[in-house]
Amino acid sequence: MNKKLKFFTCIVFLTIFTMNIDAAEGGPCKDYGDCDEFNYSLNDIESLQRGASTYLNYCYGCHSLQYSRWGRVATDLKIPEELFFDNLVFDNSIKAGDLMKGTMPKDDSADWFGVAPPDLTLVTRSKGDDWVYSYLRAYYEDSSKQYGVNNLVYPGTAMPNVLVDLQGSQKLVCKDVPVIGKNGGEKRDEAGNTITKEKCGYLKVAEGEGALSKDEFDSLIYDLTNFLVYVGEPAKAERERIGWYVIFFFVIFTALSSLLYREYQKDYH
Amino acid sequence: MNQIFSNIFNWVNHRLPIVNTFERHLSKHPVPKKVNFWYLFGALASVVLIIQIVSGIWLIMPYENTEEGAFASIEYIMRDVDYGWVIRYMHTTGASLFFAVVYLHMFRGLLYGSYQKPRELVWIFGCTIYLAMMAEGFLGYVLPYGQMSYWGAQVIISLFGAIPYVGESLELWVRGDYYISGITVSRFFALHVVALPLVLIALVFLHLVALHEVGAGNPEGVDIEEHLDDDGIPLDSVPFFPYKVLNALVGIGVFMTVFAIIMFFFPEGGGYFIEMANFEEANPLVTPEHIAPVWYYAPYYTMLRAVPDPLGGLIVMGSAVAIFFVVPWLDRSKVASIRYKGIYSKIALSMFAISFITLGYLGTVGVTEVRKTVSLICTVLYFAYFLLMPIYTKLETTKEVPNRL
Repeated sequence: MNKKLKFFTCIVFLTIFTMNIDAAEGGPCKDYGDCDEFNYSLNDIESLQRGASTYLNYCYGCHSLQYSRWGRVATDLKIPEELFFDNLVFDNSIKAGDLMKGTMPKDDSADWFGVAPPDLTLVTRSKGDDWVYSYLRAYYEDSSKQYGVNNLVYPGTAMPNVLVDLQGSQKLVCKDVPVIGKNGGEKRDEAGNTITKEKCGYLKVAEGEGALSKDEFDSLIYDLTNFLVYVGEPAKAERERIGWYVIFFFVIFTALSSLLYREYQKDYH
Repeated sequence: MNQIFSNIFNWVNHRLPIVNTFERHLSKHPVPKKVNFWYLFGALASVVLIIQIVSGIWLIMPYENTEEGAFASIEYIMRDVDYGWVIRYMHTTGASLFFAVVYLHMFRGLLYGSYQKPRELVWIFGCTIYLAMMAEGFLGYVLPYGQMSYWGAQVIISLFGAIPYVGESLELWVRGDYYISGITVSRFFALHVVALPLVLIALVFLHLVALHEVGAGNPEGVDIEEHLDDDGIPLDSVPFFPYKVLNALVGIGVFMTVFAIIMFFFPEGGGYFIEMANFEEANPLVTPEHIAPVWYYAPYYTMLRAVPDPLGGLIVMGSAVAIFFVVPWLDRSKVASIRYKGIYSKIALSMFAISFITLGYLGTVGVTEVRKTVSLICTVLYFAYFLLMPIYTKLETTKEVPNRL
């Protein structure tokens, strides 16, 4: 290795070393542990359509999307305007250019829930899509709360579990989990059996209660979160599409200017 | 036709020094023929400056500088204005990359002694640009009026309050109100879009005029003016246009590729370029979990937090920026470039770089006891680089600088 390279590697390592001191910190999903990873797919129009339908049926009653416009959602999600307004917009006075201002008066709702339900246009941007995806699946029964439910991702949340009929009620349960040894493998006793320890805080859905199976419910929440990612930034899909062309342009630009520069460099080399 | 053109050109040229200026600053302006990539960041900074000015002008059109309308108008730009998102992301990406490029540009100065005689004024104008940029960046950051805009402004403005006697009235004077309000937003808007850009452009102009008077440096620290040809042009130089321009063009191509990657695929920069909390509208009643400045102020914010006393913190933070101005007089070395300086300078500069980056990282995360100690150590190292410079640059043995480039 040459001297310079060694020197820079040293600097990089020293920096990383000092940065790593005492790096542990609680995650954004609180008692849930790490948030579940969410990968949006904004080109999956059907998923967005299903998400919009879920949102407008279950969420829009309380949560406005005040920066988004009705007509834009219909256009972007390729829903014919007539169909959209007949089936998903529950107020005849609304026009395509109107903002999705919500239906609930803010003062009343603050009285009912203790806090006015927030606008959700930008929720996937301020909290993260991982957070939203985890949050909506992390409700559990807790009789100490106003609506009998609590949430692992957002302990003490004011929102009742609106989707309980679809999901079925969820409880916190304890499980026997393998004990992990220092080497990262499962610990075993002398007979070769895995040593387990009881750990609590796992979510378990009551069987047969909800209208949807676990996978169906997860995919419903996926679509809903996907829709919220879209609403958070309607131009996102277009942005990522155009981006490739712009990068391509600049790569060609760099290549050509580099060739030209080399040609001119011959003058003095 | 050609005759008419040249007549018009001559008429104008007799009244406006077009040919003269072109020759003096471009086609005949000599620049060192051998420089490395570190010498590109000045050109890149001017590219970003232009991007910021142009995108800024278009952002002003739909932006609303009121307490009620500011946040919503940003979302209006992102959604309802045709390609508004392009303009906005250009501006936010540009802001972060402006600082990135300027930090590298300044580091180049420290690395190759660009501040040394006769380039002291170039350096001082540069430091003033940096100062103006910090103010410009802060003012602009408040305009979208998100949670972090509000609470960041709260922290920065309350710094004035730490000044004895006049502090509180100064705070009030800056805000124009008893708390951050629409009045603060609209005055910050005026300063951000008119006052400071004018100052910045004037300073950049002075920076360049001063640079062209003394000529650009090079990584060897060789004075190319010492070996001239019969026409008085340095032997180790090439004309700025087209040679240096073409060189810069390659750099600009690479830079713009990076710019486009960030702008189109990672505009939030992982929460460092646009912070997540700033997607929530400013709310004076709810304090965010931890208030972190944007990454480019983070090193100074860490220093501020590391010192227990507010006034002390303010003084440390201010001196950390101000100390750049006197670097030309702190460096007592006979040579300019790190290539010919001794081991002490090399160690000092590396420790400085490491402490600066670490301070930057610490400014973006919460405080713990260990981190506080690390912050203090890094702050001491940061200042040691400058304050001990007269000693170590004098003591160390330097290598012989060649005559020619």
